[in-house]
Order: sequence, then C-alpha cells, then structure tokens
Amino acid sequence: MNKIKPITWCALVALLPFIFSSCEDYLTIDEVENRTIATDYYDSPQKLEQAVIGIYVDMRRALLHNHAWLMYGEGRAGDLTLELDMMDDVAAQRLTNGTLPLRQLTDWGYFYDAIQDANHLLEKLGPAKGELLSSYQYNLYRGEALALKSMAYFYLTRIWGAVPSAEAADRGTLLNQQEVLTRCVQWAAEAKPLLPRLLLNDDGIVSTALTEVRFNKTAVSLLLAHEQLWLGKGQEAYDGLTAVFEGQGTNSLSNFGLSLGKDSNPDITQQPYSGNPIHITKEKLEAIYPVGDTRRSMFTIPATGTTASLIVAKQDLLMIYSTKEINLLMAEAAWLAGQLEAAKSYLTMAAAGATENYALLTAGTFADALLRERHRILMGSGQRFFDLIRFDKVGQFLPSYTEGDLAQGAAYWPLSAQSIQTNGLAQNEYWSN
Amino acid sequence: MKLLPKDVWKFTVAVFASFAGLPSIQAQEILVLDSLPATNTASLENLLQGQVAGLQVKSWTGTAGSQSIINLRGLHLNTTDESTMPLFMVNGVPIIANPSAVTGINPLTYYSAEQIERVEIIKDIDQLAALGVQAPNGAINLIIKEGTSGPLHVHAHAAAGVDYVAGFDAEKDAFYNYHSASREAVYAKQSLIQRQHISVDGGGDYGSYLFGMNNYMASGAIKDAGFQRQNLFVNAKYKIAEPFSIQFYTNLALADRDGRYAGQYNRDLSGTEVADEGFFMDDNKNVGLLSSMDLVYRFSPNFHLRSVAGLSYETAGRDLYIPSNILDGEVLAGSEAFKRQMLSVHTSLNYTHQFSELLNLKVTVGNQVVNSDYRITAVEGMKGLESGGSDYVKVVTGYNANQAKAYSDSEREKLLSFYGTLNWDYKQKFFLNMVARADGSSLYQNKWAFYPALSLVYDLREDTDLPARFKVGYGKTGQRSGPEQYRGELVGLGDYYGGNKLGITQLYAPFTDAKSVDIYQFDAKVDVDIQSYLRMELGYFNKRYRDFTYMRFLPNIQGLDYAFETGAALQLHGLEMNVQGQWIRRKAFSWASNLNVAAYRNSVTELPADLQQTSLAHLSALTTGDRISSLVAYEGSQSRIIGNSQPELFGGLTNDLRVGKVALGFTLTYSFGADAVLESYESAYVAEQLQTGFPMATGETAFYFKNDLGKESFRYQGIERIESVDFVRLGRVGVAYHFGDDLQKWKIRDAALILTGENLWTFSSYSGLNPEENITGIRKADLGYTGTALPASIVLGMKLTF
Repeated sequence: MNKIKPITWCALVALLPFIFSSCEDYLTIDEVENRTIATDYYDSPQKLEQAVIGIYVDMRRALLHNHAWLMYGEGRAGDLTLELDMMDDVAAQRLTNGTLPLRQLTDWGYFYDAIQDANHLLEKLGPAKGELLSSYQYNLYRGEALALKSMAYFYLTRIWGAVPSAEAADRGTLLNQQEVLTRCVQWAAEAKPLLPRLLLNDDGIVSTALTEVRFNKTAVSLLLAHEQLWLGKGQEAYDGLTAVFEGQGTNSLSNFGLSLGKDSNPDITQQPYSGNPIHITKEKLEAIYPVGDTRRSMFTIPATGTTASLIVAKQDLLMIYSTKEINLLMAEAAWLAGQLEAAKSYLTMAAAGATENYALLTAGTFADALLRERHRILMGSGQRFFDLIRFDKVGQFLPSYTEGDLAQGAAYWPLSAQSIQTNGLAQNEYWSN
Repeated sequence: MKLLPKDVWKFTVAVFASFAGLPSIQAQEILVLDSLPATNTASLENLLQGQVAGLQVKSWTGTAGSQSIINLRGLHLNTTDESTMPLFMVNGVPIIANPSAVTGINPLTYYSAEQIERVEIIKDIDQLAALGVQAPNGAINLIIKEGTSGPLHVHAHAAAGVDYVAGFDAEKDAFYNYHSASREAVYAKQSLIQRQHISVDGGGDYGSYLFGMNNYMASGAIKDAGFQRQNLFVNAKYKIAEPFSIQFYTNLALADRDGRYAGQYNRDLSGTEVADEGFFMDDNKNVGLLSSMDLVYRFSPNFHLRSVAGLSYETAGRDLYIPSNILDGEVLAGSEAFKRQMLSVHTSLNYTHQFSELLNLKVTVGNQVVNSDYRITAVEGMKGLESGGSDYVKVVTGYNANQAKAYSDSEREKLLSFYGTLNWDYKQKFFLNMVARADGSSLYQNKWAFYPALSLVYDLREDTDLPARFKVGYGKTGQRSGPEQYRGELVGLGDYYGGNKLGITQLYAPFTDAKSVDIYQFDAKVDVDIQSYLRMELGYFNKRYRDFTYMRFLPNIQGLDYAFETGAALQLHGLEMNVQGQWIRRKAFSWASNLNVAAYRNSVTELPADLQQTSLAHLSALTTGDRISSLVAYEGSQSRIIGNSQPELFGGLTNDLRVGKVALGFTLTYSFGADAVLESYESAYVAEQLQTGFPMATGETAFYFKNDLGKESFRYQGIERIESVDFVRLGRVGVAYHFGDDLQKWKIRDAALILTGENLWTFSSYSGLNPEENITGIRKADLGYTGTALPASIVLGMKLTF
C-alpha cells in the first residue's frame, strides 16, 4: 500500500466536519407520523388556529372547573348558590378547609396553562408571518393570544392579588397587583388594533356566531378599559372606549364568551348550566332587585319556596363581556374622568328597567349606584366579588372581614399547596394564619 | 476425532478462546454449541443459562414462546427496563430481539439451536465501545453454521416429550389465591412437546451452502394454549472471483401462540369453576425475517473491504375475542398489529501491517447505518348482547359498540456511526487496543456522541513461567434514552365552537439537551492456566452510569406539567470468575466441568436534587450507596428499604461426562441475594388518606405500598411477607447414546438417541412456585408481572446424520 502524503491526511481530516454536518440532515426526522410533536408541527394556518383554540380551552378550564367563575364571584359574595358540597364553605369564606374542590379552586394552574399557551403561540406566530398566514389571520391570532394572556393575568390578580410572572424574561418573579395590571393593559392595548370588530369564518364570510366566541374589538376594548379602571386610569379608559364605541351601530358590536364544548379532561364541567340551576334566595333577590325592576325577569321566581333561579339564555356560552357592559364601563370611565353628566347618562342607558332615577346622582353617590347596577346587570357573570374589591366594599358587604383581615389580604383567595410548591412563594398572610 | 466425536452429546462446551484460540486480542467469551439442542424450550437464550459469568437468564414464566429475562451487566434506573437487555446480533447483524408488547412472542425462538455454530459473548469495553450506543449492556453474537465442504450432508433430528407442572400443594395454591380445581383445569398435567429439524449442506471451491427447516410445538404450562414455530433458513457462500466473495443468509419464521382466558389473560383463578372457553380466541401470530448479505473484497492478503447489509423484520398480530359467558353478557373483540423493521449496513476497511517481526498493527475503520421503523395499529370494542352482540359473530362494529378504542402510532429512528480500531501487537505479549466511535442519532438535537476506549494486555507466558495473562481496559459507551423524552409533545385539549375546532397545547416542551446515558466502564482481568487441565479466569468490572433522563414536575406557574432533564448516577461493579476443568480426557471416559460465578453489587451514586418533584420520587428512600434494585415500601408514614430484587451472587455449574457411547451432562444454575415481596390478598384498601395509618392485617408485615389513584385517592396494598428467592436449580440434564459406526451399513454416518430434562428440580425456600417468577421482585396480588407456573419437561429425541 502506497504511503499517503501528510497533505492528503490533512485534507481528509479537514473534510470530516463537512461529512459530519451533512449527516445532521440525514439524522433529522422531520415528520413523525400519527403523532403531534412540539417540533415543526405548526406548518399550516389550521394548525396555528388549533393553538389559538387551545388558549380558549385552557381559559375555559380555568373558569369552568368546579364552577370556578361563579365561586370566584357571586358564590363567594353570597349572592348565588349551586347544589355543590363546597358551596357552604365558599359562601362562609371557609376557603382553606382542605376539601378537594376547594383545593382545586385555590390552584391557579389552568390560568397559567392559558398564559403558557398564549406565549407558545406568540413564539410560533413570529416566523409564520407572511409565510403561512394572511395578514388578517396573523393579526387575529396574535391579537387573540395577547388579549387572552391579558385576561388570564387579569383574573389571576383579581383572585389572588400579587401573582408571579410566567414571562420568559422574569419567570417566577412575584408581581404586585399594580405591576400585573400594568402589563395586562399593555397586552390588551397591543391586541386592540389587531382584532377585528367582526370575525370571518373559514369561507371568508363575516360570522356573528364566530365573533361571539372569539376575542373581537368590542371584547378587547372592554377588557382594556376594565383593566385601566382597576388601575384608576379613568381618562384613558374613557378615551379608549369613546374612540371604539361612540357612533357605532349595534351590528358592529358583539358579545364575547367562551364556547362550551367537550373537554379531554373529565374533571371539567362541560354543561355548567344544565342539571344544576343557579339559585338566589328570594330575600336576596328582593334586596337586589326591588319590585318594579324589570331585571327581575332574569330569574324564574316560583310562587312557593324560598329561592329563585337564574335564567341563562345562552347555555352554550360562558359570557365574559356582554355588550350590556359597554355603558357600564363608559359610565365608570366618564365618572373617573370627571365627566359626571356623561357618566350619569351612560349609567341610565345601562340601567334600563331600573326603578331609580340616576339623573339625580351626585359625585358622592355615583359609585354606590354604579356598583349596584353592575351587581344587577352582571349577575351570574362572576364579576361581583371583584367589583367589591375594586370599589373597596368587601368589608361592607361581608362584615365578617375586619379592616385588619382585609389589610392582610382576606379579599383574595388562598393559594393551594401546589401553587406555592417549589417556587419560593408564600401563602397569603391572612390565609396562612 | 474419534476420541471426541463431533456429535457427542453435551449441553455446551465453553471454550474461552481469547488466549490461544484467536490471533488477535479478543475479550469475548465464545460458546461453541454442539449440534444438539440443550433446551426443550424454543427460546435460544435458555441455551446460555448458567454458561457465562455475569449473564443472567431468568426463567420467569412457563408460557411457551415467552422470552426469559436476559441481563449481561445491564443496569438502569428501572432495573427491569427493557434497555437493560444486551444487543443480539446474528453474524454481526443487529436484530430485533425483544418481544413485541402485542404478542409477547420471543424473537429468539425464530432460530433453532441446530442453526447456531457458536455464540460470542461481548462484555469488555474495548469491544463494546466499537458497538457504541447499540450495546451498553454487552452484546451476544450468534454465529450461524455454514455448509461444510465435501459432498452433500443431511442432518435430521426429531424429538418429542412432555411439559408438566410438577405436583402442586395446597399451601402454594392458597398462597396464590388460586382455587385448586380451577388451577387444575388450567395447568395441564402434561402437554406435548415436539420438534423436528432437517438441514442439508455441502461445499467446495465455489463456496458452501446450508439450508433447512425447523418445526417446534409446545403448550408450556397452560392447558389448551399452545405455541408453535416453523422456520426456513438458507446460508450460502459464493466466491465470485478470487478476491471477491459473498454470503447470503435468510431465516424466515412463523410463530403462533394461542392464549386462554383463565389463568393467562385473566390471572384470577379464585372461583371454583373455569368458564367454557369454546368461543374464546387469543390468537397471536408473528412473522420474523432476517436477511443479510455479506460482501468481502480482498485487495491484498493484508487489506480487505467488508460490507454487511441486514434486514431484521417482524410483524406481530393479535386477534382477541372474549365471549359473553366469560364477560357476563358482553362480548369484546380486538385486533392489534405491530410491524418492526431494522435495516443495517455496516462497511469496514481492514488493514493489517507488519512493522517488523516484533510489531504488528491491525487497523479497522468502518461506518454503520441502522434505520428502524416501528408501527402499531390497534382497535378494540365491547358490546352488550342486548345491543346485538353475538357469541357466534366475532365482530364488534363501531356502531352501538361502547368503549371502542383505536390506536395508531409509529416510531422511526436513525443511527449513523463511524468508528476506528487500532490493535497493536508487540512480541505477542503486549497488546494495545484503541477504539473510537462517533454515534449520530436522530433521537437527539445534539446528534453526536463520542465513545473511546483503550485496553492493554500483558501475557506473562512469554517472559516468565507464570502461565497468566493480565488485561485492563477503560472506556465509554452510551445507553439510549427513549424518544418520548426529547421531542416534546402536543396534546388535544377539547372541542370549541360547535365542536369542530380542536384546541391543542404543549404537553411538555422539547428537551433539547436530551442525550444517551453515559457509561464509563473499567475492566481488569487475569487468566491463569493452573494446570494443563484447569484454567481459571478472574475479572473485575466497574460500570458508572451518568445522566439518565427523567421528568421534573414544574411549579404550576409554568403552564407545563413537567420537563425532562438529565442527572442521577449509578454504579454496577462486580467480580466474575470462570473455572474450566478438563479432568479426564480418555477414549473410554472423559469428564469436563465449567463453574462460573458472578458477584455483583449495584448502587446509587447520585440522585437529583429535590427528588420528590421528579419522576424518581419513588427512590426517595434511597441514599448514596443504596442499591437501585432496592424494594421500597412504607412503614407507618416513612418509606424504607425492605429488600433487594436483584441477585448478588449467581452463575452455573456444568458437567459433561462421557463413558463409551454414553454421554451424561447437566447444568446447575444458582442465584443468591435477591428477595421477593409478596403482596397480601387480604389487606388492600382504596381510600383517601387514611388518618389512622395503614390498618395492618394479622400475621402480615408492617409494610405496605401506596399507589396514587388520582383525585386524592390512594390504594394501600399490604405486604404479607418478604422472602428470599435464593435457589439452586437443576436447569438441564441429559443422557445420550451414540451409535457411532453401528449404522454405517445404512449410510448413516452418525446417530444418537437423546433424553433431555429441563427444570426437573429446584431447591429454594421460596413459598411460591418459581423463585424467578417475579419480574420486579414483587409478587403482586393480581399476579401482574408474575409468570405462569414454570413446567418441567422431558424430551426423547433421535438425531441422524447421512
């Protein structure tokens, strides 16, 4: 065998990296049949839309498990009841008694699932712009992801107060409510110009049914204003709402709710409105809706018995923002912006059917009237307890809580053991006692 | 050769040819198999039982056609994980050797012992590193017989006998919660074994040929069940031109096992009667194919190119039907199909250079490609008779069928490797082996892993009177981490908007740092020819495993439930000893023995931090130095070690005696140091956290297992007792009579009458039926992971060579 020259050896050695790098392609299996793997899955608009829908489904889980949306709201406030074992504990503020449903309600996992879904989609959307998606699809999906993330954090901070960030830049950092709300506002504001007033279906035709179950311009505007009002930024909320809604016909407006459907998690209530009516005591009903208030028609009031039941017109939807809330938020924004007359006007429009004359309200009495009307109009939406926190009325309506309790965080929910495990977080001061 | 006729019966003759037999330095042990089978089962691995130090072949079940548990210095975080199995090769071609989960039929039944010339056992790192990530737990290479030169030869062998479960006593039956009458109805007192083999071979200057067929049928321990296998094989070698030769090998096997419901599909035999299984069907069918083509081109006497292409293919199909009389008014039908294929191409350049009379070098550089593709499809449905189900029509349609399930999955994998070996030989007394292999795997984002090894041998016989040789080696290899651990997965959440938009999200994120487990192995060995008739080999090895892949459960602000990470470390080390004696070697009488002993100890050397938040939480009772094979249970609220599932001393003793035309041989296998934890049939509770602790039953241990059933519910399983499963077993025994020249007048060159027995006697204090029956070391109350009764067998056979 002839001797190989050193230069040939050098050439062969230099060639090795090229051989190995070309092998990389051979060793990469792009497609795994019959399996949805995280790598290279999102190669069509339909698949990206699946990820969008995934966020909605996780949000639905967060609000539907154990009738959470109601427990966080009117259930805890003591207004509405369901035939559930935990109901008495929730209404009596025994939120740490250790039963499984309560432990699940104190677990924020589903909200963070939705946030992770949104961030995952936002990451996948970047490279898809202009390649896979039309500008309409790109804007819609991105707007939905941002709005849903904003909504998830908004729920988190209203339920638990200070909550940790799940963003890549500062994951795990505990954010106070002000910081959370500030971020929520940023994301909602970013989503607002991206989302259309009415959505198109797969055939490119405007679909009111689709618009009603996906984030749209109406919904994100209400979300943004709602968050701004929590931050006390009335003028910004008023300006934003006015720009979107003033002069708009009803055809361009839409409710927004979560479409109910099958869930692969059997623990999730699929039909929350059937088989388990939502009750209110007649005594409570009378106190909230005086005789003559036409909103009493929201309830079935039997002649006998001590309870009435809430009528849910759309049983295939968990309502998040209805168009009824536009005037309520406009009224609140105008009031905080110092425009009392406009505020009274919006409140009067919102409170159609009320027995009170809101034209006579003063700056001092407006807040109570607004809270009362939000109570009446949004009954069953899960907003009540959050409103009590925002209007600083928890102590008034739930006198079992002292000022000291509230200062320690009693208005917020305790955290499950799972939620404070391995992340350095501590239990809410009130509930740790 | 008259002194030691070729066809003299024996189980195996262990020839440790690494010293004198092979020109180069080979660490492997070579078992030369006689042309007669040494086992009455169809499973080839049982041939190796008790023959090689460190090779455990655990006869855990009596279900015919099942694979014994095979371990050759294998370890994993889960000590019963399939990844502890050694690599099996046929003529150097890697084969699919593990049973599919669909039929459980052992692929090592596709070959009969008569086809195998010898078995190479590879344990040392200087050879394992050259096989890379394929062989972290050693390798077993089956070398197939070739045709012998000369005129046509015909070999025929036929044998028949019985399997039987030895008489059972009521104590053991009660212990299994079996009703005696039911058990008797399920476990046959005797069932027939039969086997036939015929092969034809010949050869000349052109090359050689060998072809033939085999048939095997047995029921094993279970009455009305049965296993059978037929295979055809051909091995042809052809010299195309002087420097160029080619060898084809093909083995096509059909294997079929019928199952039964009582005692096999459903292990519960607590009732007094066994239902009529006239309509029951559990039909398992495998087709196994191995085909290889071996091309050799010799450029010069010192330089040749070799390329071996192989295809190992298996389809496993199962059809199941359970009639209404068994399922209380409902019928169940199911069908599964699993197709596995492994295509490999191995090309190497081999060059030998003699620098001087003192120094020789052998260089091999090679490349290997292994592509595997596994696909499974399964459907199963159940239907009530009131909804139109029928015992007579074994079909469950989707309409109206409830609990209809369908499943489909596929898995592909590519391995691309480059390797080189340098074998230096100085004065035939110093040998230096240098190995390096780069493995590229499609499993990981970081594709390449590098496995180097070095070994040094010093043969004292050249310089001193001491008839000994020393060898030390050190190197690295790898153990594959499964694909579920690296690529991330998406999951369907549910329907949305009219039920027609499926939401998906990440179940877990891709694990970009996924890699194989690193194994660092040290070998040291000395062999001594104590006398001309006695040879002893003593070795020590130490394997350190690092970077297993496991799950870490994430805080619930992550939005993902878990992520994978690598960590944890284990150690397996041990002493191995082989003593081989050829005590008497005379024409009228000869006696040879082989004793092998392995003393092993595995231990945990590192566990991940915050173990409770990982998928290794079940190891939390362990600390550094504890055995990974520890059996762990709760006592009160504390988990603690209560036993050890792996033996620490095991091996075998084989004796081979010949007196005139009669040969007698037997193999004893033994195992010490392992325990079995026996779950109680009485104390089992499903409850939320028991506030008052586990309610112990009288006469049972204070230990219990706790399984999380989800939704705050736990199953508490009491432990009746913990027993040693030490045993000594007369694994195989045989007597043969050789007719020698007596039949020459009928053109029969050789003939032998052979009587073989298997599992005839087991000495053990274990109160169950078989001390090896528990795969995990735990005999579960529902008998999951517990084998069926292991039958004894006696077979009488006749072998003829024309």
